[in-house]
Amino acid sequence: MSVAYAPRARIRPGSIGGVALGRPVSWLLVALLVLVTVVALAAPLLAPFDPVQPVGGLNLPPLSPGHLLGTDQIGRDLLSRTLLGIRVSWFSALAVVASGLLVGGVIGLVAGAAGGWVDTVLMRITDLFLALPGALVAIAVVAALGPGLLHTLIGVSIFWWPYYARIIRGETKALAARPHLEAARLAGAGRIRLVTRHLLPGVVPTAVVSASLDVGNVVLLLAGLSFLGLGQAAPAPELGADTARALSQLLRQWWVPGVPGIAVLVLSLVANLGGDGIRNLLPARR
Amino acid sequence: MSTGAAPTASAGPAEPVARVENFSLSLVRHGVRREVLHGVDLSVAPGEILGLVGESGSGKSVLALSLLGLLPDASRPEAEGRVSVTGVDMLRADERDRRPVRRTALGAVFQDPMTSLNPTMRIGRQLREVTGADDTSVGLLDRVGVRDAALRLSVYPHELSGGLRQRVMAAMAVARRPRLIVADEPTTALDVTVQAQLLTLLRELRDDFGCSVLMITHDLGVADQIADRLAVLYRGDLVELGPAREVVRHPRHAYTRALLGARLSLTGERDPRFARTVTVADEPDGTGGPVGGGAGGPVGGGAGEMAGDTTGEPRPARSPAVTISGLRREFRVRRAGVITALDGVDLTVDRGAALAIVGESGSGKSTLLRIVAGLETATAGSVRIAESTSGHGAQMVFQDAGSSLTPWLSVGEMLGERLRAERLDRAASRRRVVETLALVGLDPDVVGARPAELSGGQRQRVALARATIVPPAVLLCDEPTSALDASLARSVLGLIRDIRAELGTTVLFVTHDLAVARLMGDRIAVMRAGRVVELGEAEALLADPQDPYTRQLLDAVPTIAELDERPAPLEGGTA
Repeated sequence: MSVAYAPRARIRPGSIGGVALGRPVSWLLVALLVLVTVVALAAPLLAPFDPVQPVGGLNLPPLSPGHLLGTDQIGRDLLSRTLLGIRVSWFSALAVVASGLLVGGVIGLVAGAAGGWVDTVLMRITDLFLALPGALVAIAVVAALGPGLLHTLIGVSIFWWPYYARIIRGETKALAARPHLEAARLAGAGRIRLVTRHLLPGVVPTAVVSASLDVGNVVLLLAGLSFLGLGQAAPAPELGADTARALSQLLRQWWVPGVPGIAVLVLSLVANLGGDGIRNLLPARR
Repeated sequence: MSTGAAPTASAGPAEPVARVENFSLSLVRHGVRREVLHGVDLSVAPGEILGLVGESGSGKSVLALSLLGLLPDASRPEAEGRVSVTGVDMLRADERDRRPVRRTALGAVFQDPMTSLNPTMRIGRQLREVTGADDTSVGLLDRVGVRDAALRLSVYPHELSGGLRQRVMAAMAVARRPRLIVADEPTTALDVTVQAQLLTLLRELRDDFGCSVLMITHDLGVADQIADRLAVLYRGDLVELGPAREVVRHPRHAYTRALLGARLSLTGERDPRFARTVTVADEPDGTGGPVGGGAGGPVGGGAGEMAGDTTGEPRPARSPAVTISGLRREFRVRRAGVITALDGVDLTVDRGAALAIVGESGSGKSTLLRIVAGLETATAGSVRIAESTSGHGAQMVFQDAGSSLTPWLSVGEMLGERLRAERLDRAASRRRVVETLALVGLDPDVVGARPAELSGGQRQRVALARATIVPPAVLLCDEPTSALDASLARSVLGLIRDIRAELGTTVLFVTHDLAVARLMGDRIAVMRAGRVVELGEAEALLADPQDPYTRQLLDAVPTIAELDERPAPLEGGTA
């Protein structure tokens, strides 16, 4: 008997025959995401000057010779500071989302797969954390632990995972109702195997999409906290803090607070667009 | 009974209600444009029931959608020719002109009434949108045979049974006295008795209201029973068109003949491999523990006695592979209290034998199977599966192969999963997988394929391969072919029989189709409301049903009178 493959029910990324309208755009958005990550990674190499040391005239406007984005109130190169600031913001946001995904993912998966009282207990705990006023908790944690980037990240991570726990638990429950789980159980798959092989891969797309759409939010939140002074210590470049410190210059030298502020805007925009791109590219399940 | 040549008074030279002229259509699916209909010519006369037969993918449903003027824009239809209903071009006319035709001249009944009814609206409100007043709605529901019609108005679609939902759909379809009812496989999801009622209803609607019906089906028995004329569609071509009796009895096109050949009837030849004597050599049975047993625990006393008691079967009790005794299953439902799905079922299946369980939806047959599989626990009673050298445990083939396979795993991974317990090395396990795939008639190439890349029939074969790659003590089949086309179903059924012959597997086969039950089971158990109402040798039971319910089921099976005539009863055999 010859094998007649039915047409693919959905187009998977990488299939050449099925490039539908909008896919190139989606790829472009994802490429943007990759670009930002590469820039963040290579920031120390890309930065023309030391971001902490004064290297030029004070408050030089953008497009000044040698200083593409100008300099700040004490003569530090704004391009270098912004690049390093992007690096900190971007990786902090990724770290928060990753930790949220890990903690929330495990809790959601266990709750959804186990059901019963385990589900109830885990979800009530999740509800408790969801009820916390997020930014205030972060401020309180930083106040308790002392200022510093790590403490800020801990403070944010504490209330960031419940969203993922909820989403993943719902998705797991929906998947668990499918007959393929019963079939796998009959086929002799153990409890752990059922979860890791027959449940988890189905949850990943949803998790990835919601997480990638979230990076932008975390970028904004961290920039906000840093703006309030809950970030790295003073000389280190950080977008939110740099904006805050130079805010008084807004009307005279707009670029000094403006450049890092715009960088935050662009980062969060790219994160959201990239998330949309990923969502479009991942196959819709079922 | 065939009433194919029903009232012919209407078959005058009147202007046809619907006309399809030289209609070709291409649609974009999965990014590829393909022609789905080629130059179809068809017309429906007033008061005529036109049957449209063909396999899935033959273009039947697309033709129905074209008549309704509801081709999905997303598939960018490109049409040639004309499709008109009461003179209005349903392909190209302005939406403002087509809408009144849909509203007044057309009615539609689809296969799945659950998805066609609005789940968030009470039945009464949905009907009122069409009828305008509740009184009219009640009259209409009465007319389509819904009892306690006034009470039904206040319920939501999910609170109705499938048959009732389909009746509500029919009521909505005929509410405005349409000239043409388009019925797309309206009975496919229904039990035979409900199907018979719905067919009668459609015929009555025609007789009473004089409307035409375009009846799409893949069951020639159904078509023969209801249609005046029959059109056969094959891969987008209209290959045959003529009076229904004529087409069914003297098919001219090879495809029609194949379709007729694939039909399962209650009289066709059974598999000679499974004569009454069980061929599998007796094995010393290491009796396994109870599976899915609830409060009952292991049955004391001889299982043989049990079989003797409950079935009154003459055959000497030889080591049974499955012993079900006093099985009860109750479900607690919030409003309705306790629902008894199984009400004391006793059954035994001998090693290597096949038992078919027949019943309508809600009879408890699937619950029974799930308890035997260990997927559900019994409220009381026990199930024993005897272990033997030829296999252990129960494996199940589910109704919907598509959703019983893990979408992101490849065929090889899923089959390999069952071999893990055997601790084979890579090459050996690979060999075993390929062997098993060959046994179910699949190419070794499919090892790397994921379920979405396979056709429905291939998926069911994969499911079967997974169930038998390590031979089970009992193979449980839960309507494995009810979602497949006639010819596909036939090949999968044949395959299950082949596997049974090859491996000597004990089979428990659940179905709602008596013809399938007869083909698959040495014995048939008829279930109703959680009880086994009749049990006996397949041929004997069908030839001489004792229980009135069995008789009712038998009568409801659509048959083609001349073709399904019973030869002399095969009773007795040669045992």
